[in-house]
Amino acid sequence: MSVSRDEVLRIAQLAELDVDEETLPTLAEQMSRILDYAAQLSAVPANGAVRVFVPGPDAIRFRADQVTPSGLAFGPDEFAPAFKEGFFVVPKLGQFE
Amino acid sequence: MSDAKAVADRLVKAKRLNALLTPPKDLRKSLNTQIAAARPTGVLYGMPVAVKDNICTLEFTTTCGSRILEGYRSPYEATAVAKLKAAGALIAGKTNCDEFAMGSSTEHSAYGRVLHPLDKTRVPGGSSGGSAALVAAGAVPAALGSETGGSVRQPAAFCGVVGIKPTYGRVSRYGLVAFGSSLDQIGVFGRSVHDAARVLSVISGRDPRDATCEDRDPLRLPTVPESLQGFVIGLPKEYFPPELDPAVRRACDRAIRIMKELGAAVREVSLPHTPYAVPTYYVIAPAEASSNLARYDGVRYGPRFSGAADLRSLYRSTRGQGFGPEVRRRILVGTYVLSAGYYDAYYRRAQQMRALIAQDFRNVFDRGVDLLFTPTVPSPAFKAGEKLADPIAMYMSDIFTVTANLAGLPAMSLPIGRAKGLPLGGQLIGQAFLEDEMIEAAYALERVVPATDEA
Amino acid sequence: MSWETIIGLETHVQLRTKSKMFCGCSTAFGAPPNTQVCPVCLGLPGALPMANGAAIGLAVRGALALGCTVHPKSIFARKNYFYPDLPKGYQISQFDQPLATNGTLSFLSSERGIVNATIVRLHIEEDAGKSIHDRFAKATAVDLNRSGVPLIEIVGGPDLRSPAEARAYLLTLKQQLEYIGISDCDMEKGSLRVDANVSVRRAGEMALNTRTEVKNINSFAFVEKALSVERDRQIALVESGGTVTQQTMLYDSKENSVRPQRSKEESHDYRYFPEPDLPPLVLTPEFVAEQQSELPELPGAKRDRFVASYGLSREHAAVVAATRAVADYFETVAKTSAEPQHAANWVMTEALADAKDHNDELRVSPAALSQIIGLVKGGTLSHQAGKRVFAEVAAKGGDPRSVAESLGVIQVADTNVVAGWVTDVLGAHPTEVARYKKGEVKLLPFFVGKVMRLSNGKADPKLAQRVLEEKLAP
Repeated sequence: MSVSRDEVLRIAQLAELDVDEETLPTLAEQMSRILDYAAQLSAVPANGAVRVFVPGPDAIRFRADQVTPSGLAFGPDEFAPAFKEGFFVVPKLGQFE
Repeated sequence: MSDAKAVADRLVKAKRLNALLTPPKDLRKSLNTQIAAARPTGVLYGMPVAVKDNICTLEFTTTCGSRILEGYRSPYEATAVAKLKAAGALIAGKTNCDEFAMGSSTEHSAYGRVLHPLDKTRVPGGSSGGSAALVAAGAVPAALGSETGGSVRQPAAFCGVVGIKPTYGRVSRYGLVAFGSSLDQIGVFGRSVHDAARVLSVISGRDPRDATCEDRDPLRLPTVPESLQGFVIGLPKEYFPPELDPAVRRACDRAIRIMKELGAAVREVSLPHTPYAVPTYYVIAPAEASSNLARYDGVRYGPRFSGAADLRSLYRSTRGQGFGPEVRRRILVGTYVLSAGYYDAYYRRAQQMRALIAQDFRNVFDRGVDLLFTPTVPSPAFKAGEKLADPIAMYMSDIFTVTANLAGLPAMSLPIGRAKGLPLGGQLIGQAFLEDEMIEAAYALERVVPATDEA
Repeated sequence: MSWETIIGLETHVQLRTKSKMFCGCSTAFGAPPNTQVCPVCLGLPGALPMANGAAIGLAVRGALALGCTVHPKSIFARKNYFYPDLPKGYQISQFDQPLATNGTLSFLSSERGIVNATIVRLHIEEDAGKSIHDRFAKATAVDLNRSGVPLIEIVGGPDLRSPAEARAYLLTLKQQLEYIGISDCDMEKGSLRVDANVSVRRAGEMALNTRTEVKNINSFAFVEKALSVERDRQIALVESGGTVTQQTMLYDSKENSVRPQRSKEESHDYRYFPEPDLPPLVLTPEFVAEQQSELPELPGAKRDRFVASYGLSREHAAVVAATRAVADYFETVAKTSAEPQHAANWVMTEALADAKDHNDELRVSPAALSQIIGLVKGGTLSHQAGKRVFAEVAAKGGDPRSVAESLGVIQVADTNVVAGWVTDVLGAHPTEVARYKKGEVKLLPFFVGKVMRLSNGKADPKLAQRVLEEKLAP
C-alpha cells in the first residue's frame, strides 16, 4: 500500500497539520510502511459476521438531568490564549468558512 | 508520615534522569501545602506518588510531554488524582513521558528523553518512562502511569519495578488525557507488588464522570498466599518464540520453575491471533488518537504559535509546530485509516481482529486457566536512539503487551531477573475484573523469584 | 417546459432539558458568554461525556410521535471536523445506527391535500457553540454556552414538491414537537433550525437530479422565500444549458438571494467512527413504554376528538387545537361552562386576540371565561358587555361578576324595571306606536334601541323585546 506524497498532503489537510515540503517523502514512506504492516489484517474474512469488540460496559448509564457545578477551579479567562469581553478570540475565518 | 523536604530532596536527587518535569521550587512549595492539607485517616496518608504528565492535576502543569500544552495548568483534576488525595497521598510532581503517551522509550518527549536509572545510555521504556525511572531510583514509592499498548508494563520491565495495568473500566479515565480511548487505562508503578496494588485499589472504582468506567466497588486487595496451590497458569506459546532473547527465556524458565515449586499447575496454551495484535493496535490506537488530538488547535488553551493571519494558519501552525514527529505521524496514519474508502479495510477490520484476539483469551480462560504468564518484553532496555529510525522497530517492543489492552484484560509486570545488570520483567495476564487473583499470584512470586539475580 | 421541485428538509431541534447532553451545564438561554461551561463542553484535555437520560427520553418521544421505529440499540459516533465553536474537533452524533428510522409526518399541502412525508431518520447529537464574526475586527468571537446542548436531527425524505409545502411540513413538525413538549421549536431563538435539500427535474422524469443544500434560513417565512429563490436559480441554470453542481448555498434574507458557500479546498470527510467514550445506547422496552405513556394526545387526534365530542367544525377544531396550551384552555372552558360552541367562539376571538398582543399569554383564567360565557348566556350580560368584562379581567384580573357590576354593565332583567322603560319609550313615541299597530312590525328594533338608549345599555334586549311585543299587541 503505497501512500503518495499527494495523499499525505491531503490527509494532512484533513488533520489540519502543516507538513514540511522536505519531510513529505520520508513521511510518505513511513506511512506506507506502517499501512503495509497494518494490511496484514486482511487475514480477517471481510464478512460482517465477525463482530467487533469494544471493552467496557455493555450499555450507557444515564445521567440525571440536573444542573451541576462546573468543576472548574478557574475560568477560561485564565487558561485561554486569547480571551476578550468574555469570548474566546480566534483570527478571522479566511478561506475556512 | 513524610516530611515535605525529604520527599522533595529524594526527587531532586534523581534530577539527572530528567524524569520529573516539575521544577524543584514548585515541587517543594506544593508539597508543603499538600502535607498541611492531607487527610490523616487516609490509607495512603503521606505517601508521595508521582503522576505521569498526561494525567490532569490541579498541582503543577499538565503538558503530556508536548509543546502544544507547554505551561498548561488544568482547571480540574483527574478522578484518580482526587481519590489519591482523598486517601491522604501527596502528588509528588509530574513525570516525563512520550508525547501524548505515544512511544515506547520516552524519547519522543518534547522535554528531552528520560535516562534509564541503571544505564544512562539506555531508555527506561515508554511511554511512562519518567514514572518508572523515579520509582526504580527510589525517589518515590509509587507513581501513576498510563497504558494504551503497554506503556506501564514495558517501562516497569525495563526499569525493574512492578507495573500494573487494570481491567479496562476498573479505573476512571476522567482526567487522563485521551490517546486511544478504547485502550487507555491509568496504571500504577511500585517498588513492590503491595505498594502498586495499594495505590491501584485507591484509584479504582466507579465514577459518574466516565461512562466507560464500570459500576463497581474499588478493588479489594487479596492477602499474601502461602503458595500457588490451586492456580492454573497458562503459557501461551506465541509469546515464547524461538528467537526470544536467551536471557529473557532463562529468566522466564526460572520463574516458571518457581511457580511449579509453589504448587501451580502450568500448561502450554495458544492464543493463535497474537501475530495480528501489533498491526491491529497500530490501526485502532492512531485512529482514535487522530480524533482525540483534534482538540489541540490553539483556540481555547495551550500556547498559540506564531501570529496567524487567519484561522486555518492558526490550526496548521499550532498543530504543525506543537506536535512532535511521532505524534504527527500517528495522527496522519489515524486520519488515513478512518478516511472515506479506507474505513472498512483498516479500522473496521482491526475492530473485528480485536474481537478474535479477545476471543482467544476467553477460550483459554474458559478451559480452566486462571492466569497467563509471559515475558513482558522481548529483550531488556535498548539503547537510546537505537529504534528511532524505523517506527515499526519501536512498535515491536509492544508485541507482548498490546494484547491485554486490545482485550481489555488486567496485566502486570514484575521483575524476574537481570541480564548483564539490566532488569527483566515477567508478565501476568488475568481475567477481566479478577485483578485480585493476579495480584495474589504476584505476591507469591515476588517473595521467591530472585529479581536482581542474573538469569 | 414544466418543472418539478424536489425538497427534503433536515431539521435540528433543541431538546428542552435543564442540563446539556453530555455534561451538567445549564442550557438556559441568554447567559453571559462562556459562563455555562465545564471541562466536558469546553473540550479540555481528559474530559469525558456522560449521557443525559432525560434528553434521550425526549428524543424517544419525538421519534414515537413521528411514528418512527425506535431501535432498542443505537450507537453514538464521532463526526470529525474542525471549526472554532466545535471544541473537541468532533461532534458526538449518531451515524449508521441511529436512534430511530422510518417515520411519517402528515401535513396539509394547499396543492395536493394530505401528504404523508417520510421521516428517514431521527438521531441524537450535541450542539456546537456560537461563532460571532462581527463583534471584533478581523477576528471571530466564540461562545461555548451552547456547546453540548442536546439536539435531535430529523431527516425528511425528498417528498416535498414546493416551497409552500416545505413551510407547511415545517409548521406541522413544529406543532407536533411543541405539542409533546420536547422543544420550544422557536426559529428565532434557534431551538429549531432547518437546512433544505433542493433539486429540480422536468415533469415526468423519474430520477432525482443533483441537489444543493440551502442553509441560513432563519424563519418560517424565509423557508418559502429561500427555497423559491434556489428553485428558480436551478431552473434558470438548466434552461440556459448549465448543470446544477452539488454545493451548499447560503440564503441572504436581506437580498432574498442565495450564494454558494465559499468552497473549501477539500470536501468534508467526517471520518465517522463509533464513539469509544460511550457504550451503546440500549433502551429497555420499559423505558420506551414509559416515553410512549408520557406522550399526550397528538394534534390530529385532538382535532378529531373536538369535532366528535364538542361538535366543532373542522376549521374551528384546528384553530383551538393549534397549540397544546390553547387546546387545554379551550377544553377546560368547554367543560366548565358546558357550552363548547360558545367556548370555541370566545377562545378563537377574544382569548387568542388578547394573547397575540400579550406574548401568547392566555390572561383570563378558564374559570373566569366560563363565568363570562355563563353570564352572557343567562342574559345577565349582553355579548358586547361580556367582551368589555373580558378585556377588563384580562388587564386587571378580578371576578367577572364583580367587574361587570363595577363597570355597570349588568343587564337589568327585572321585568318591572324594563316595563317601566318600555312604558316611557312608548309614551315618547306615539307616532311610531301608531304605525306599528297599523302593521309596521319592522319598527320593533327601533323601540328596542330606544329602550337600550334610555337604560344606558343595561336593559336585557331580549326581555325588552318581549315586553315591547306584549305591550304593543293589539
